[in-house]
Amino acid sequence: MPEYKGLKMPAKASAEEMRQIHIEPVPDDQKVEMAIQYLDEMRKKFRSFVLAMESCVKCGLCAENCHTYLGTRDPNNIPTNRAELIRKIYRRYFTLEGRWFGKLVGAEDLNLDIIEQWYSYFYQCNECRRCAHVCPFGIDTCEVTMIGRQILHWLGIVPKLHASVGAAMERTGNHTGLTKPAIVDTLEFLSEEIKDEFGVDVEFPVDKEGADIMYVPSSADFLLNPYTLMGAGMFFTYIGANWTIPSTITEAGNFGLLFDQQHTMRHNFTRLLHAAQKLGVKKIVWGECGHGWRAWKMYLPGMADLPLRWPITHIHDEVAYYIRTNQLKLDPYKLGRPVTLHDPCNYVRACGLAETMRTVIRACVADFREMYPNKENNFCCGGGSAILFDDPEMYQLRIKFSQKKAEQVRATGVGKDGNGILCAPCSICKAQLYPMVEEHELGVEVKGLIDLVGMALVWK
Amino acid sequence: MTYFIAQILPYITVTVFVLGVVYRLWRWAASRIVHNITLSPFPQTKTEVAGIYLREILLFRNVFNFDRPLWVGAWPMHIALLNVIGGHVVGFYFLGKQFVYLGASEALSKYLSNLLGTVFGIILLAGLLYLLYRRIAIDKVRQVSNPSDYLMLLLLISIVSIGNFMRLVPEYGMHYEPVKEYFTTLILFQPAAIPEGNPFFIIHLLLAQILIMILPFSKLMHLFGMFGMRWIENRVYKEPAPGLPNVDVAAARARGTGLSSASSTDVA
Ligand code: HEM
Ligand code: SF4
Ligand code: SF4
Ligand code: SF4
Repeated sequence: MPEYKGLKMPAKASAEEMRQIHIEPVPDDQKVEMAIQYLDEMRKKFRSFVLAMESCVKCGLCAENCHTYLGTRDPNNIPTNRAELIRKIYRRYFTLEGRWFGKLVGAEDLNLDIIEQWYSYFYQCNECRRCAHVCPFGIDTCEVTMIGRQILHWLGIVPKLHASVGAAMERTGNHTGLTKPAIVDTLEFLSEEIKDEFGVDVEFPVDKEGADIMYVPSSADFLLNPYTLMGAGMFFTYIGANWTIPSTITEAGNFGLLFDQQHTMRHNFTRLLHAAQKLGVKKIVWGECGHGWRAWKMYLPGMADLPLRWPITHIHDEVAYYIRTNQLKLDPYKLGRPVTLHDPCNYVRACGLAETMRTVIRACVADFREMYPNKENNFCCGGGSAILFDDPEMYQLRIKFSQKKAEQVRATGVGKDGNGILCAPCSICKAQLYPMVEEHELGVEVKGLIDLVGMALVWK
Repeated sequence: MTYFIAQILPYITVTVFVLGVVYRLWRWAASRIVHNITLSPFPQTKTEVAGIYLREILLFRNVFNFDRPLWVGAWPMHIALLNVIGGHVVGFYFLGKQFVYLGASEALSKYLSNLLGTVFGIILLAGLLYLLYRRIAIDKVRQVSNPSDYLMLLLLISIVSIGNFMRLVPEYGMHYEPVKEYFTTLILFQPAAIPEGNPFFIIHLLLAQILIMILPFSKLMHLFGMFGMRWIENRVYKEPAPGLPNVDVAAARARGTGLSSASSTDVA
């Protein structure tokens, strides 16, 4: 646990680890100067950032609408104050009022302490965008966090977790470093599991040339969320699709969005396009991952540098389509357990999946209970932007960040008899909530949405 | 001094204001919308987008939904502010007779003009005092405030207090006609001296000009920023069509995909 003047922060990647993701860390005596230069580049590019810097009225509305502030009551976790960590520097160097009036208008010189504060508080933001959703003007503190993290990345300051994932992406095309043999092995094992549990034959074709559909699952599904992969396999088998999973990009997520939206994010975009080209598919279907779906749905078209040949949809959209057109036979009574839905922020505030998820869950579950607030007003689970750090102090923060979520789940009553299900159809939500439902003793089991589809399918 | 405030400063004020606002807007326009960060649920038509703008501008819907105590002060304050600003323009231009066009008599119109000015002036002052109270007394608001946030409110409160004072204390009141004449000479670039030696009017005029000059360099730019931000985040987005290529579910179910003939397990 690195300690820096009482700031909470995750372990940093070493210089060697930074070099693996193509960054030569900037020495301390040049950090300030370089940070200002990078900040200047970013502010000239991003209007969303400039507007967040220049039009906040400091009304304080965003404070109690951010779960990180609600959980910690740390003033720097108030969205506008998180942004202020950069804003005071921005004012000092890039505005007339800041240069002339300094502290009076909240302008400050940059120093190493402030850079450490950036690291601490930009990695305490879940990039959930509830602040953008509630602000009277739509000021998006998530954009400020993203730009803060980008600058930190260029300076050579990235959490170990994010840097190691970045390196794994480059090595294997997925976050967990799965190689093709491991992928094939796991999928064969899941086929057997499906046979044992559901009695149906499901094959997972890998790298099948000439497939119509390329399904891109989250790599975490291979290790942590097997039922999500099994559900997807069962769905594609049920509808008789000619589908495949690519081994070169077995990753629905894209950590590039979270710490390096330029090189790292673009790298995996390119991998996807190569895979689709090589396999000759007609459509790409996306697996369960919140930040990932945001990256691929909203960011890819602008970064691909060419009009995309392949339509990309989310598996929830596809399942919902077949439900609406009455082509799937689902038995909502099979499960027999109460279920509530945690809306992944990226789905509901950035990708428009709120109604789609409800179409699916209502068809699969008889006892479905909404939690409040929900849909686009939902609170983040506290794991967003993969701040899933295990250092003891950061882990304590994760518990605090998920406090609001725990209250919401408790209020639904699904965990009263200890057999509830908390459906959280996003890999990061799942990774955060598996331990958090235990910490908060919620009496629920965490599942994805496609898991429930697989369980409810009626085959004969 | 009075000469400077009344006959020279107004030209400086307008220049600083116009150049300042243009400079800021130019800086915003020079940066780009790099990624698609539209907020969902996505509006499907331009009309829906306009609806979002309108409900936020006219009703402060987000403030209403997510911070009711703030709305109680901010919304009436803004409505009063817009009316006060509008009232200054319309009232002086028509000398208080604007309501004649709506069918009122001249006397009634002047009476209404005065009444509305007083009412909105008081709401505005009350709203501003309440916002100042929040900033001082409520932890989360105090924690996000810079010195300039307080100064801005104090400046506004001073301007409005003096305005209200002139309205409510007839000895120091201003009549519409001389003020209109003064502004007319200003616009014609032949500035005349301020007619009555009313110190409150001079201070009011000075502070208002300071406010107008500060505006482009302050958070008051939010009145433009809000459009800039919403322009990025509230736009039409159409989903790609669902439905998978070469999939025929009925045929697949008839074939019994997934069901090996050898299997005798009944899961349904
Ligand atoms: C377009 C929609 C607008 C919205 C949603 C909006 C919202 C707000 C909010 C939330 C505050 C913060 C109050 C506080 O806690 O201090 C504020 C302050 C203020 N607004 Fe607006 N505003 C809008 C337009 C305008 C316009 C058009 C003007 C000017 C004509 C204006 C002038 C002010 C002033 C003078 C303040 C007080 C500043 C201060 O607190 O120091 N606003 N506004
Ligand atoms: S809600 Fe928006 S305007 Fe108000 S303090 Fe937060 S970021 Fe600033
Ligand atoms: S993005 Fe989410 S976590 Fe980050 S400041 Fe905004 S509300 Fe808080
Ligand atoms: S982890 Fe889940 S809830 Fe949290 S930001 Fe991602 S999508 Fe949101």
